[in-house]
Amino acid sequence: MESKRQDERFIIPIGPQHPALKEPAHFRITVDGEIITNAVVRLGYAHRGIEKATESRNWVQNIYLVERICGICSHIHATAYCLGVERLAGVEVPPRAQTLRVLVAELERIHSHLLWLGVAAHEAGFDTLFMYSWRDRETVMDLLENVSGNRVNYSVNLLGGVKIDIDNQISDTIREGLAFLEERTLHYLDVVSNDMAFLQRTRGIGVLTRSQADVLGCVGPVARASNVPRDVRVEAPYGAYQQYPVNIVLVEKGDLEARFIVRLKELLESYRIIREILDTLPPGELTTRMPRRIKEGETISRVEAPRGELFYFIKSNGTDTPERVKVRTPTICNMLSVLKLAVGHQLADLPMILAGIDPCFSCNDRVAIIDHRRKSPEIWTWQDLRQYGIEYYNGHSR
Amino acid sequence: MESSITMDILDKIFTLLIFPGGLFLLILGLAYEWVDRKLLAQLQNRIGPRWFQPLADVIKLLAKEEVIPEGVNPWLFIGLPIIALAGSLTAALYTPLVGLPPSHSFPGDLIVTVYLLSLLTLCMGLAGSNTLDRFSLMGATRTLTQLFSYEAPFMLSLLGPAIVVGSWRIADITSYTENHWLLLSQPIGFLVALIGLIGKLEMPPLDAPEAETEIVAGAMTEYSGRGYALFRLAKGAELVVGLTLVASFYMGGMANPLLFLLKTLLLLLVMVGLQTLITRLRIDQTVGLWWRYGTLLVLVQWLGMIIWKGVAS
Repeated sequence: MESKRQDERFIIPIGPQHPALKEPAHFRITVDGEIITNAVVRLGYAHRGIEKATESRNWVQNIYLVERICGICSHIHATAYCLGVERLAGVEVPPRAQTLRVLVAELERIHSHLLWLGVAAHEAGFDTLFMYSWRDRETVMDLLENVSGNRVNYSVNLLGGVKIDIDNQISDTIREGLAFLEERTLHYLDVVSNDMAFLQRTRGIGVLTRSQADVLGCVGPVARASNVPRDVRVEAPYGAYQQYPVNIVLVEKGDLEARFIVRLKELLESYRIIREILDTLPPGELTTRMPRRIKEGETISRVEAPRGELFYFIKSNGTDTPERVKVRTPTICNMLSVLKLAVGHQLADLPMILAGIDPCFSCNDRVAIIDHRRKSPEIWTWQDLRQYGIEYYNGHSR
Repeated sequence: MESSITMDILDKIFTLLIFPGGLFLLILGLAYEWVDRKLLAQLQNRIGPRWFQPLADVIKLLAKEEVIPEGVNPWLFIGLPIIALAGSLTAALYTPLVGLPPSHSFPGDLIVTVYLLSLLTLCMGLAGSNTLDRFSLMGATRTLTQLFSYEAPFMLSLLGPAIVVGSWRIADITSYTENHWLLLSQPIGFLVALIGLIGKLEMPPLDAPEAETEIVAGAMTEYSGRGYALFRLAKGAELVVGLTLVASFYMGGMANPLLFLLKTLLLLLVMVGLQTLITRLRIDQTVGLWWRYGTLLVLVQWLGMIIWKGVAS
């Protein structure tokens, strides 16, 4: 082990394996004492070649593949994909199916935000809040299991509809769960905005101004905590969000406290939407017929994932497999803000700032490898990519 | 004649190795660690470890291979945990464990005890600085920074009772406090001593030196097997000794063992409460807490005591 000083700089490696990171990513943090002077990120440890893999599977199989891009926001990936493919095929999804998609999406948002609350509290060293919020998250996990049969990959979407339906009994269970969660959320809102010890770690830390958030292209709750009105559900309502409009939650301050408050208030907004949906769920069919081959063409599909705007580009060449699926997840948009904000803060604040954007590296790491030594990488098949991976790791294991 | 010398030596060995030093203290330390972990878990809505878990942890660690990383001084790497444990165990000889009179005593033993208690932190700081690991170095810096911030107020808060009694001898102080609950007349000193103990043992919320989400395990990152086990045992012993000191100085001195244990457990309960309720402080906030509030408040109390003593005499 050579000396760790390079050019008189002291670099702390956070990752790829580190207790603060639940997924692999590598941050090189240059510190001067406790103060961070530079931050560099290296992503790609969880690259799985999913975009390439979609090209060798048919349209239906791909729903299950894109659902596995992210373990936390699986439903929203499938929704974005289905909305895009349905637009390409020119198919209109029945209103009941659209509403049920929104219902599950909002339940998923609740589960994701509660999970984030716990993780962020843990990064700050406030394990009590971590344990309590994860206990309460079990309620919404149970609701999701009740609705879809699964806790994680709900597999609710079909091309042209949904495969689940809810009856009065399930909607009563959901209402009960929401009543409990609403009470807890109000309590957590009180904690994060009034607990003095916790505020010492969040108030005024990692302030992202409105212009910075605009320039860095932040999305989702991070942008909304800096008073940037950016929410796809409001700007370009998709699916049933036209019938169930969302009130955008904005906070001005842009610090970590604001990010806590935005996410918790969004929970309350989600409860309201779900209750409204349960009260006025339109009757009707759950699915409609989809063609096996999708017409030639290309489209984009934007949805609001719990972490921000999720973007899909889908291109069809008229066969039963897509020619190209490109995914851009919110984490990659927000990652720059972490590097920007970390500089000048203390090392102790870094885990909080990083957690503040709710990073999801598995979502992130799908950028295709372009190897200049090989010819025409565009025509790689799934087998080629797999073989490349095997060779790569054999070459590096020595 | 011969046999009385043998008895004397046997008695000394018993005192050092079995009771109240050595084995008894280690077991009590593990028991307190379990109470701490279990209560913390219960307050956090978890189940918590079984009663033998701390012992099982130590046995497992002792059985593990100890990896001595490259670039360290192996003698220091192996020696520091032993010195740390020895320091905590020696400190116990001068304290009224479980409410019994201390087995050794001389005028001025309070100062020696307080310094022996600091040995653990010092050893951890040195152990961290001994390695090339960046997390360890960072942790060592924080450990020593924290040492410099709580040590003065902690010492001042233990000297408060000494001033009232007019003796630096622990036995004298405890025999005075038997009839005087100093908790009532010196509440600030009591609080500072208790929070100082949390800082000493690097328990949450003053666990910035080993904040796992930033620097993995701080100074302890490179320790895996026996060394880590010894450091943990030393911490357990120090927890018992520290609680004993605070309870005997501020909460009615020596008492019958059962009552005394109850008092220390009550103190532990207060510490667990603080651990549950408060977010981890950054190292600069820790230093600020001690020098802006802790030290000043204790000094103000000192001043009040000295003036009061002057007026009374």
